[in-house]
Amino acid sequence: MTAEAIQNTDATKNGVRHSLRTQLLEDRPVNLDGFVEEWPEVGMVAMDSAFDPEPSVRVENGVIVEMDGVARADFDFIDQFIADKAVDAATTEESMAIPAVEIARMLIDPRVTRKDVIAVTNGLTPAKLLAVAKTLNIVEIMMGIQKMRARRTPANQAHCTSARDNPLQVACEAAEAALRGFSEVETTLGVVRYAPLVALAQQIGSQVNVGGPLTQCALEEATELDLGMRGITGYAETISVYGTEPVFVDGDDTPWSKAFLAGAYASRGIKMRFTSGTGSEVQMGNAQGKSMLYLEIRCILIAKGAGVQGLQNGSISCIGVPGAVPGGLRAVAAENLIASAVDLECASGNDQSFSHSPMRRTARLMPQMMPGTDFVCSGYSAVPNYDNMFAGSNLDSDDFDDFNTIQRDFQIDGGLRHVKESDILAARTRAAKALQAVFRYLDLPPITDAEIDAAVYANGSKDLLPRDVLEDLKGAQQVMDRNVTGLDLVKALEATGFTDMAENVLAVLRQRVSGDLLQTSAIMTPSLVPLSAVNDANDYAGPGTGYRPSGARWEEMKKLRHVTSASNPEIEVE
Amino acid sequence: MTQPTLDPAVDYPLSVNRKDLLFTPTGKSIDDITLEAVVSGEVQAADLRITPDTLRLQAQVSEKDGRKQLGANLRRAAEMTAISDERVLQIYNALRPNASSKAELEAIAEELESQYSAVLLAELVREAAEVYERRDVLAESE
Repeated sequence: MTAEAIQNTDATKNGVRHSLRTQLLEDRPVNLDGFVEEWPEVGMVAMDSAFDPEPSVRVENGVIVEMDGVARADFDFIDQFIADKAVDAATTEESMAIPAVEIARMLIDPRVTRKDVIAVTNGLTPAKLLAVAKTLNIVEIMMGIQKMRARRTPANQAHCTSARDNPLQVACEAAEAALRGFSEVETTLGVVRYAPLVALAQQIGSQVNVGGPLTQCALEEATELDLGMRGITGYAETISVYGTEPVFVDGDDTPWSKAFLAGAYASRGIKMRFTSGTGSEVQMGNAQGKSMLYLEIRCILIAKGAGVQGLQNGSISCIGVPGAVPGGLRAVAAENLIASAVDLECASGNDQSFSHSPMRRTARLMPQMMPGTDFVCSGYSAVPNYDNMFAGSNLDSDDFDDFNTIQRDFQIDGGLRHVKESDILAARTRAAKALQAVFRYLDLPPITDAEIDAAVYANGSKDLLPRDVLEDLKGAQQVMDRNVTGLDLVKALEATGFTDMAENVLAVLRQRVSGDLLQTSAIMTPSLVPLSAVNDANDYAGPGTGYRPSGARWEEMKKLRHVTSASNPEIEVE
Repeated sequence: MTQPTLDPAVDYPLSVNRKDLLFTPTGKSIDDITLEAVVSGEVQAADLRITPDTLRLQAQVSEKDGRKQLGANLRRAAEMTAISDERVLQIYNALRPNASSKAELEAIAEELESQYSAVLLAELVREAAEVYERRDVLAESE
């Protein structure tokens, strides 16, 4: 190539000559991501803003009369909720007197027990928790999560959605997700009116085998509760809370309405967690000049004060916002830590597409996956990115083998396992046939054998046979009008010869009567035993202690799609 | 009614260790919720609900495990079992910002107390009424 030819390439933009290396770097996916300078006045700052309040507390006659520099008469409704319900007035003055750096050391010191830390965090205000977080680097935050996570055994959650809201696909995906090890599966819709059919399909698909995951369908608060009350879903998560009063009001709720809703779910025996995350207040245009983490800590304490067992946080759908500012992903990990440190279940995000860079996507996952959280993703897309109706997740079905390999590489438990294709196809087939039978039994729009064949072997909705959407939507309305309940699914499965699946669905419904899943961080084990922070409390106390993948679980984690046999290098291990 | 004293370390999960304490709202044992009973119609949707007693047992587990707020929520939930799904949703909607006047919220608190003996829920609603007034998130008075 001549010098003249080089001059004519893209290396000469705007009359400035660039190196070929610059050109290559310019084309890397990471440069499609958005980055902005900090702008504290509007809250575009991760966790270090001059506008964040200084920690303070004052108690008179057992009532907090000043918190973080604000007198009680000037409390906004969030301040008051936190001061009256989340912060322990009896111990707060003592806890607040401990220097932030000392509390931070307690968080990571293996000699200080989780219970001892919580005895202190019970009395901390939002600004003090922020001051603690600010002293921690990312490795220390991860050490803190390892110790403070409520449940000893980490787990994971999947998204099972379809770009066409195809119930058959969702049933198959839920069956596969169950087999792959997810403890919860969550769906949502493109067309909301499809919800009853898709939620029902997910419930059936998830219970192909004993001890399948709990299910939920993310919808507007009142509708979500309605599906839960009918027993078509098993838990709820998308109960959003916000860190400033104007944004909370824009979301058409208050801490009191959300606390009432928390009671409503529990009163029907349904597990529930709140949702919040850094960046939501900036995104909704009213961060009141506070840092993202300070506002998120207010959300965490609202969840605690409402008495909900847990919180989905880690920026969630707003991850692009903290992802764009310096130290943003450190703040995201810090919010997971603080939720865990105030004794809440933490479903820790990693659930939204946020970067074009595969390297950055993986890096964003590590602070949760390495120490382990109650749910590493909330959730992991069990479908291709284009089918993810939560606008894409940080991880999707294309990444299953990579995820399993990372678990094996580092001996860290992200809750998943490699499954043989024949087992997956069998589970998808069974889910599809059960759904076909239940639809027929309930007089819902038919599912053909050809549809089943396509769905079982599909990667995503592009591979499916199209359904009659209008008929499906009428069917969905029928489910609501005829008041179809979880119990009707049990009957339908039994009547159509899927007796084992009927037993599985009934086992989940029976848990409502016991309330065991209302305890912090509760999941169901494959042998149908509720596992929560009560009977599986995190007992990490330094090297050699706490949860470490071992025994049968570690053997399972060693399996990948292709592993060469030691006894015969010519073959691969099954 | 006095409740049995539970030890979370021994008794939880109740569905495994204390089935003797678990009943449906219609008085059936949790063991009576079998597939046969569902098919025969003996067990109906009304049976698959948690009772206030069970919620208070779980509240006891939460509190003994150091989770005061979760316990309080479960105690409010125990009161809420008596309220219909429809009324629960209505009260939730009434608690949304700018949805109710102070008098309307006070009337709900009164109803909770007198009709459902729901003193904890009534307290929550009264608190809301006070705070909403101070923060100006009550409905515009007609």
